[in-house]
Amino acid sequence: MNPLSTEMSVRVSDVTVSYPNGNVALRAASFALEGGAICALVGVNGSGKSTLFKAIMGLLKPAAGTVTIAGRSVKAALKENLVAYVPQSEEVDWSFPVSVWDVVLMGRYGYMNFMRTPRAEDRRIAEESLARVGMLDFRERQIGELSGGQRKRVFLARALAQRGRVILLDEPFTGVDVNTETAIIALLRELRAAGHIILVSTHNLGSVPEFCDHVVLINRTVLAAGPIAEVFTEENLQRTFGGVLRHFRFDESTVQNHDGRAVTLLTDDERPLVFGKGGHVEYSKRAEHAEILKKRTESEGDD
Amino acid sequence: MIETLLTPLQYEYMLKAIFVSAVIGGVCAFLSCFITLKGWSLMGDALSHSVVPGVAVAYYAGWPFAAGAFVTGLLAAVGMGFVKTKTRLREDAVIGVVFTAFFALGLLLISLYPSQVDLRSIVFGNILGISNPDIVQVLIISGVTLVVLGFKWRDLLLFCFDPNQARALGLNTTVLHFTLLTLLSATAVAALQTVGACLVVAMLVTPGATAYLLTDRFGKMIGIATSMGVGTSIVGAYASYFFDGSTGGCIVTLQSALFVAALVFAPKHGLIGQRARRRAAALGAGATEVPS
Ligand SMILES: Nc1ncnc2c1ncn2[C@@H]1O[C@H](COP(=O)(O)OP(=O)(O)O)[C@@H](O)[C@H]1O
Ligand SMILES: [Mg+2]
Repeated sequence: MNPLSTEMSVRVSDVTVSYPNGNVALRAASFALEGGAICALVGVNGSGKSTLFKAIMGLLKPAAGTVTIAGRSVKAALKENLVAYVPQSEEVDWSFPVSVWDVVLMGRYGYMNFMRTPRAEDRRIAEESLARVGMLDFRERQIGELSGGQRKRVFLARALAQRGRVILLDEPFTGVDVNTETAIIALLRELRAAGHIILVSTHNLGSVPEFCDHVVLINRTVLAAGPIAEVFTEENLQRTFGGVLRHFRFDESTVQNHDGRAVTLLTDDERPLVFGKGGHVEYSKRAEHAEILKKRTESEGDD
Repeated sequence: MIETLLTPLQYEYMLKAIFVSAVIGGVCAFLSCFITLKGWSLMGDALSHSVVPGVAVAYYAGWPFAAGAFVTGLLAAVGMGFVKTKTRLREDAVIGVVFTAFFALGLLLISLYPSQVDLRSIVFGNILGISNPDIVQVLIISGVTLVVLGFKWRDLLLFCFDPNQARALGLNTTVLHFTLLTLLSATAVAALQTVGACLVVAMLVTPGATAYLLTDRFGKMIGIATSMGVGTSIVGAYASYFFDGSTGGCIVTLQSALFVAALVFAPKHGLIGQRARRRAAALGAGATEVPS
């Protein structure tokens, strides 16, 4: 069976993960995704996002439950190079003596021979991947000599070179400039269109409705999972974050009827997250969500 | 004058010593690139001391010294891994406790039967008196190490750089971990012959650390470290004839001198280079800012 032609899927069923010191980081977590999808993993620090990633990558063996990728065990999926990952910036030793080109070629190891000698094909794909993230001109740079956004793009290029169909990104937008964030989001959309499953862990709530279509809410277990419009609600986020979120309620604020909808929301760094009446998520661009507008218009009689 | 300089080369034992030192120095230096990048320098020190009881037992029993050394080296490594996962002690404490335990046991064993093993030659090395069977063992260890590194350096590099990616690619990181650990023990045993247990860690760290200051490319790092390992070992072994001093001392002193030179003069990561760059940056900023 050629994995490129099969439908991609990630299925996490009743997964419990504990660390050697007995700490149970994740209990009976379940969710399922079909490709293409961009799914956000949302939860406070220490809620188990990275742990869930590690279980999907086979770095941690679940004490109970199973993870399947395209119907295969994690181990089999890894052998087929199906799973690629982009590490959190803090996990990388940026002074390591490797160049951008070396890093991208590492994505091709799974296709190379015993000695990992790159063939012309590997070089072509690595070059193409670097070009796709706009980093071809930097191929000879040592990885520490790049900006935060460029570093992220190099590791994304490695995932592309690996031709992974399930791509895990741990906190991809931390320390990344706005232009890179936009470029990464555009690229992730292309990958979704090609049927990939992208899993992104983030604590930047406002960016979630901007580019994700699914969400998994985590706090030591999966509290809720599914399409953004259904699951990413104020109530669910309250449950996930346990009241540590800060609010600005328009109905309790000095916003008056004469302001109407002509209210501007500014934040310095992170994107704002806005909920409407009853706690459903509001998107920043109307034009991209015609269906939801129509549905809500029908049920509320609004325009 | 020339005649004096050539005297050491007239003795077979000196030629042997120079040759064996060069081989060991080169292999250790090659491996040192991985050890320094992986952050296993302390582990190298620990293993080189942990092999001592094995060497002692092997000499009594008439086994090849490498076999005994190897067994206790790996025992120590496994012991450290075990204590670390089962307790809340930090890694440095675990390493400290385990390797001194092994080293102490080694000293005790040697002191119980002083006639059969020479404590000095284990702790300080005795390359000038190395026996032919020992040379064969060193050459086998070196050959195997070079072959494994030659074939698998890219996997080991990825394992040092990003073990999670190695796993995601389906590589067996447990095997890679133990490969590196085994190579480390094996070369520690070989280096024991030249510089002795106390200084083995220098051979396994200093060339890699020096090369790391001089380049940002792994390929060049290996080249620099290996040439440095071979060069200092040849010169050190040769020079020790005139000083009538410790060969290990000579070699490691040379290596340390090169390290200090790199620390000061390395173009990019050296102290002088860094200061020049800071000054240039300050001058650049000074054009727009009022200097205080
Ligand atoms: N190596 C480890 N050993 C023991 N506990 C760990 C380890 N790594 C993480 N944990 C614990 O597991 C929980 C989940 O951690 P993690 O998955 O890293 O959270 P997140 O990525 O959401 O911040 C935390 O309580 C953390 O303390
Ligand atoms: Mg995390």
